[in-house]
Amino acid sequence: MKKLFIILGFIAAILSVIIAVTPLSNLAVAPIIVAFISGLIVLFLSKKQKTKTKTIQYIFLLVIISLSLTIYKGVFFTTEVGDTEQLEQRDEENLEDSKEILEDIDIDEGF
Amino acid sequence: MKSFVFAFIALISLNNFAQNKTIAAGEKLTYTASYNMSGLLTDIAQVKMETSEVKTTKSTLLRLKCTAATYKKWDNFFKIRDLYESYVNPKTLTPYLYKRDISEGGYYKFMQYKYNHKAKLVKSLKRKKNKEGKTWDENKNVKIGASTKDLVSTLYSIRNMDIHKASPGDQQNFTILFDNKETIVTVKYIGKETISTKIGSKECYKLALSIKGSDLLKGNNNNLLWLTADTNKIPVYVKFKIPVGNGELKIISATGLKN
Repeated sequence: MKKLFIILGFIAAILSVIIAVTPLSNLAVAPIIVAFISGLIVLFLSKKQKTKTKTIQYIFLLVIISLSLTIYKGVFFTTEVGDTEQLEQRDEENLEDSKEILEDIDIDEGF
Repeated sequence: MKSFVFAFIALISLNNFAQNKTIAAGEKLTYTASYNMSGLLTDIAQVKMETSEVKTTKSTLLRLKCTAATYKKWDNFFKIRDLYESYVNPKTLTPYLYKRDISEGGYYKFMQYKYNHKAKLVKSLKRKKNKEGKTWDENKNVKIGASTKDLVSTLYSIRNMDIHKASPGDQQNFTILFDNKETIVTVKYIGKETISTKIGSKECYKLALSIKGSDLLKGNNNNLLWLTADTNKIPVYVKFKIPVGNGELKIISATGLKN
């Protein structure tokens, strides 16, 4: 029983760190919650059995890392569009090119 | 006589449908596209839909432009800079030239359709980049139906439908030319619904979209489009379900509207 939660907590904690590093950082919340709850359960179980488990510390450490990364990203990373210079340039080029093409096309009002 | 009257009415209503009463030059709509994973939404890209007037020596055309650009945090991960444009007749929204210039995470593709509505032909040009960065072209002639349009002009044509005359359950087919293939998209009117958006609480027409013979859009009524129930019919909210999850498009701002 304890083993199951240790494994589950570890997997969720590692997963949350991985997601927190990627741009999908706010999706890390779900594995953070899972890891945190499993960590609490392991803590509760080991207290009941009066044994000391080191893994709890690791799980909580990973949870703290990913949580702080997620919060940091959420606060400081604004949702703004990156450089669109290239896009604007292509836009201009296409417009000029289109004008030339459209000169040759007969616009039929019937359609 | 009766049949004549009927034909006359049919002609008038057909003419009514073809007239553009919704889209003006100078319109600018901005959206945020987000991807949904297990209930949590992540903003991915900004989508813009703009219209402008383009003058040639013989005539004036309407340029419909759609661009998509990923947000900064995504650029190192998967950078998208897409440009879709269509040059249409401002009165009937019939397309004459379509261009698709996409750059998605290192993948580049350019498509161009030149329409010849009389001959029902489209001259298509496909341009791709190979591994060395050199481009190569592929020219093709594609036969099209009488009402076939491209993706961008179809989007605007949906807005130009007389939805106020439709009753819930009514549907209409649109033929779209995409990647040199004709695809049929069915638009079904579901009913009216009031939703709150960034530009205020709006009464909307709720439409369901589906593609015939394709699994790209999943489910029956899972791909929905909300158009404001006024004369502008601005698309304010889009919900879609694709094989890898579901996402949505939300409006941020709308300027330069016709009415």
